[in-house]
Amino acid sequence: MHGNLALRWVAWLSIALVAMLLPRFALAAEGSAQQQAERQIVQPLNNAPLWRDVRKGENPYQTTQVRGIETNVLVQTEGQIWREIRNGPVTVYGGYLLVLAALAILGYYLWKGPIKVHGQLTGRKIRRLSPWDRTIHWTVGISWLIMALSGLVMLFGKYFALPVLGYTLFSWLAILSKNLHNFVGPVFLIAAALMFITYLARNMPAAHDIRWLLKGGGMLTGEHVPSGFFNAGEKVVFWLGLFLFTIVVGASGLVQLFPNFDQGRVVMQYSNVIHAVTAVVYIAMMLGHIYLGTVGVEGAYDAMRYDGMVDEAWAKEHHEYWYNEVKGQSTAAGGAASPARAAAMKEGWKL
Amino acid sequence: MARMKFLADAERCIECNGCVTACKQEHEIPWGVNRRRVVTLNDGTPGEKSISVACMHCSDAPCMAVCPVDVFYKTSEGIVLHDKDLCIGCGYCFYACPFGAPQFPQDGAFGLRGKMDKCTFCAGGPEPDFSDAEFKKYGRNRIAEGKLPACAEMCSTKALLGGDGDVIADIYRRRVTTRGKGSEVWGWGTAYGRPEKPPAQPGAKS
Repeated sequence: MHGNLALRWVAWLSIALVAMLLPRFALAAEGSAQQQAERQIVQPLNNAPLWRDVRKGENPYQTTQVRGIETNVLVQTEGQIWREIRNGPVTVYGGYLLVLAALAILGYYLWKGPIKVHGQLTGRKIRRLSPWDRTIHWTVGISWLIMALSGLVMLFGKYFALPVLGYTLFSWLAILSKNLHNFVGPVFLIAAALMFITYLARNMPAAHDIRWLLKGGGMLTGEHVPSGFFNAGEKVVFWLGLFLFTIVVGASGLVQLFPNFDQGRVVMQYSNVIHAVTAVVYIAMMLGHIYLGTVGVEGAYDAMRYDGMVDEAWAKEHHEYWYNEVKGQSTAAGGAASPARAAAMKEGWKL
Repeated sequence: MARMKFLADAERCIECNGCVTACKQEHEIPWGVNRRRVVTLNDGTPGEKSISVACMHCSDAPCMAVCPVDVFYKTSEGIVLHDKDLCIGCGYCFYACPFGAPQFPQDGAFGLRGKMDKCTFCAGGPEPDFSDAEFKKYGRNRIAEGKLPACAEMCSTKALLGGDGDVIADIYRRRVTTRGKGSEVWGWGTAYGRPEKPPAQPGAKS
């Protein structure tokens, strides 16, 4: 009986407590308006609760006749933070990173020069890339270049091109850049998706990739490190660049490309910073890819640019496992020297 | 030289939107562009306050700082103006502005926003004063006519003051001492709290 009474008391007390607390939670949103109203009675003209709301920008009873995105917000303080980040670290360190990456590549070129094939070229060609492989590579490559250059104009142009070109000419360049950026962007994303599918099977990680990475591909020592169709460095470009960076840059870019979906300014500011940071790192990485694909590795550019064929010696030098695979296959299929197969390979209808 | 400022007195504003209408009328502003707006706080509850807001012509304007093509310039009276011919319509000024002042005539799908438009303190733009081109792009140049902004001139309760910062601050100070309380000048810390930055474009019209 006694215990029962105590229990009852506890129950009553908790109900009373909940009843007391509930309106408080419900009024949490109205609290500021309430405070302001009460303050007007005790201390007329003391609007401290109101100004607090303005600063926070969270007043639920903030209205305006003007229709639009966040038109009822009086002050958005995040803009200032975004300005400091974009004009500060993103521009400054982003600029340093790109300059350092370019200098490192130049230094490597002056130190080691282009990577040549050791020994004589055989003159026997094997097919490495199909016409579709090359078409999609260059669709992505050219649209990527347009995106990178136009993006650089918009982030850094003010500092290096504007003083040289003057306001009018630089504005034309920037308008061109912005429109190219906005319309080539979607093309780049679609092409990158197709390229990802096209090259996916050849970029699956293998055990020997770790060995390749640990030895840096022999780029510094000159040591021969065998690799598959793509070496680990190319696979890093594929997974980090074509896959990860493209998704991040693409998503953050699309948010900014379609402001008509009424996303607020904070979302845009985040997207802009993520977009710029990722893009700068992406560009720095791809500088390496562009170097190795053009002057850095003898024979690499020709294969992608012209016919997709590489010399057997080149294949053995740079992609030994792949070379062995192809040779094994061709021997099994009757030998690479068979005229019919050589003709077929020249025609380019079979790997 | 005077430093032009806006001052919105929340104790006086009655949310009539006269300033908004005056602005639209004066500059023949197209639909969807709102150089000035009135925001009401705690709408419908006792102690509600309204504030008229437009470009405040900041001393260290964030729009100026983030613009990728440097379209902004400042007159010798501290009015922040921009050159629409150079504008690329990227929207960065809108991201950066604390007051939501920059406006765009288009909705922005595929980044097509058109040329940015904002309050000019009724001071036109870089085109010759009173030219057709100036009126079409920036609206009337009342400052060159020797007048103050239309919104503030039109304000029925004189809640919105626009003009020499020292003069309007004096007016406001008088009001505050008469009332005995409420010295918060809305937005001044944000707009004029930082040291004055020089005009961005060299040789800009002053």
